[in-house]
Amino acid sequence: MAFHSYKGGTGKTSLVVNLGALFAKQGANVCLLDYDFRAPSLNVLFKAKPQYWLNDYLEGKCEIVDTLVDQSARFKLPGKLWVGFSNPSLEALKDIMGKDRKWEVKALTKTLAGKKEIIKDKQVDYLIYDTSPGAQYSSINALAGADLVSLVMKADEFDLEGTKELSKGVYEALGRKSGIVLNKIPLEQIAAGGGAESFGKQIESDVGLPLVGLIPCMCELMAMGGKAIYTIEKPDHTFSKSIGQIAEKLKKM
Amino acid sequence: MSSKADAAIIDLLRKLNRNVEIVSRKLERLIEVERSAGGHALRPSVSVPENMPLDVTTLLGLPDHLRKSALALASLGEATATDLSKETSRVRAVESDYLNQLVAMSLVKKKRKGRDVYFYIES
Repeated sequence: MAFHSYKGGTGKTSLVVNLGALFAKQGANVCLLDYDFRAPSLNVLFKAKPQYWLNDYLEGKCEIVDTLVDQSARFKLPGKLWVGFSNPSLEALKDIMGKDRKWEVKALTKTLAGKKEIIKDKQVDYLIYDTSPGAQYSSINALAGADLVSLVMKADEFDLEGTKELSKGVYEALGRKSGIVLNKIPLEQIAAGGGAESFGKQIESDVGLPLVGLIPCMCELMAMGGKAIYTIEKPDHTFSKSIGQIAEKLKKM
Repeated sequence: MSSKADAAIIDLLRKLNRNVEIVSRKLERLIEVERSAGGHALRPSVSVPENMPLDVTTLLGLPDHLRKSALALASLGEATATDLSKETSRVRAVESDYLNQLVAMSLVKKKRKGRDVYFYIES
């Protein structure tokens, strides 16, 4: 599955990490891939220094499984939690921005081949891509590799319009199953709209995709961003419970 | 007319009849393919600018039926029309037609290996 959004700052990375950790906690084998090559962030949370980056795989310098680092022992998870990181160095960011369309063809075929290799070699139950916002090449490559796309959005008008465009122009065109995760919902907005469910139904009808989850805005989460995995460290927290509900819905899609 | 000449004419008519049956079966097959493709199979190719690589931007600009084939081929790497038809759940003749449309658009290449024709995306 892939987590994508029209704009940045919608909380994709946080969702990906917490969801992946929850699946591994439930005993599943999970692989997270940081496909946000323009603003890598999984390396910050996992404090990783891998031997190979995903960038190296796309350049043909290694196999995709060589990029994966198992994090399950560190977090005492019963299932495996493999993570593939993208290179955060300025040199790597410049390199990615200078790629031509021919390189992107190779990146697409390598993304699709890499998915098969990971599933076969690591026996993963869930492969989750964290993507760059908007219509970036790397993001759409990841969406092409996913069977299920979760669109993460905040509840403002700009997000809504852009999300509608993405839904029609990309998700529908690629024929991928998709759903919306509405994140960082201000409590006042929920109250004014007659409750979270009613608000969610409105968004569902506006965007034309089913709602997968609703997560209220929590200042505490923003302050802790990148420092903690709530589904492991605070399983009873409202955020962890919301992730649990999203996980159950995704399993049924 | 001698009985030998009669036999030759009858033999010729039988051959003609067999050929007509073959042509008829092929026409029926074409009609079936066209129907199952929702009217796309016999349409002229979609034109794309020359030397366009088959990246996601080009993919998103393709009509749905060709995009499905191209995406499946990108996933398989190298495949025959039969391999593709298993991936897309469409009949082989339809996949073959779509792949050849993609070849005509220079988005996909093909090569022969023994009796099989393999399609692939050059990257």
